[in-house]
Amino acid sequence: MTGRKDMTAFDPRGVVETEPLELAARVGGLDGLRLGVLDNTKWNAGRLLRKTVARLQGEFSFAAVNYYRKESFSKDADPALIATIAADNDIAVTAIGD
Amino acid sequence: MAQQTRAVTSAEAEANVVRVPAGSDLVEWYFEQGWTDGLPVVPPTRPRVDAFVEALGGNPHFVECKVPPRHGSLSREVLAINMVMAGCKPEYAPVVRAAMLSLTTDAFNLNGVQATTHMAAPLLIVNGPVAREIGMNGDCNAFGSGNRANATIGRALRLVLLNVGGGWPGELDKSTLGHPGKYTYCVAENEAASPWAPYHVEKGFALEDSTVFVLAAEPPHSVTNHVANDPEGILDSIASAMSTIANNNAVSSGHCAVIIGPEHARTIAGRGWTRHDVRNYLAMHAYNLFSELTFNERYGKIYNRNLPKWYKRGPGSRIPIVPSADHIHLFVIGGEAGRFSAFIPGWGHMSSPVLRSIEALEGDGTRKAAICVDGTCYI
Repeated sequence: MTGRKDMTAFDPRGVVETEPLELAARVGGLDGLRLGVLDNTKWNAGRLLRKTVARLQGEFSFAAVNYYRKESFSKDADPALIATIAADNDIAVTAIGD
Repeated sequence: MAQQTRAVTSAEAEANVVRVPAGSDLVEWYFEQGWTDGLPVVPPTRPRVDAFVEALGGNPHFVECKVPPRHGSLSREVLAINMVMAGCKPEYAPVVRAAMLSLTTDAFNLNGVQATTHMAAPLLIVNGPVAREIGMNGDCNAFGSGNRANATIGRALRLVLLNVGGGWPGELDKSTLGHPGKYTYCVAENEAASPWAPYHVEKGFALEDSTVFVLAAEPPHSVTNHVANDPEGILDSIASAMSTIANNNAVSSGHCAVIIGPEHARTIAGRGWTRHDVRNYLAMHAYNLFSELTFNERYGKIYNRNLPKWYKRGPGSRIPIVPSADHIHLFVIGGEAGRFSAFIPGWGHMSSPVLRSIEALEGDGTRKAAICVDGTCYI
């Protein structure tokens, strides 16, 4: 091994062209906010979310709790549904619940 | 359509090239990079890569598709690199290309197939003259080892799913168990031994067309029946293999494949049964009771949102394995001797299989493909 870089190999991975997305602004506290809850329809997602929301409601006072569900756990949510969640809520929680 | 050629910039020409220290063992080097499926790869060289790019239609930086969940760009050069690594021959290029375009069709939901905790792997079944021309095996041990085209075409797809799609186990591939088809899962239909028209002809393509069919699939489950001399007996055995509460069709509906061995096929067809009859019989007689699927409510009430809304969910209700006969994809595959068939469960309603023509590359660089819409095909 000489350390001289004179052999050719090929990278099989291809280029990923991505546009960085900025995170939404973080909230300071949860009281008074509207909470969106997205069920991904996995076997136990609803159960996990209900228990999570119950615990959150024990600690915080939300202005509203709105429930939504995806059509299929394995596919992206309908963009219209995401837009609705974004428009009608201040924060959102989802779960896989496999 | 021929892709317009243009001058390749030096940056593009070097885009996929890596310089490594002289004297490196390239087989080991690819392992070290994490760019293999766990088996040694054939180290690509410029002449080999160029030969495969030529077989793919030239224009090495033309992006055929993006491969989820990493969404890497699959340029022809990158596809060529992975094909070389898999041990393919250049003449396999149209099949691999058609298969990748099928896998990245939205309806297939490759993003989900790659990332799911289920064990599904894409199954590729090739029909038409191309399968014979490149020496694919649909005969003895078709799903097993021993045939270069079957083995390396399937392996090339897997390498693309890993390297370009990022489906690395434990990272973006979250499969609890996986299955051996994640190395290679590629066969041809044994059209010569089939008493029926080939699968692609049933779907409206012409006999002289070549096609790829992809299905997100569990491994084959053997169906043995050495006694029945009629269609009902053989198909009852297949229906029995289908009617478990644990395969993904049982709990998530969707598509599946049924492989009829040539001996079984001759017995069934000998009584005048068509492919249509076989699929309808299985669709009608493969089922579980809702009470079985819900464990008699031992764990509480279960609705199961993954099954169609229109299923009656009473204790004595029959829950079919597939929602229609068209969700059963029937192929005749296997060796001449042996009274065996197989059931291959799919992933479920989350993925739709794709049937696509294999486009022949003409001398002028254009592609000639059968177009098949609603059973009507033309060139």
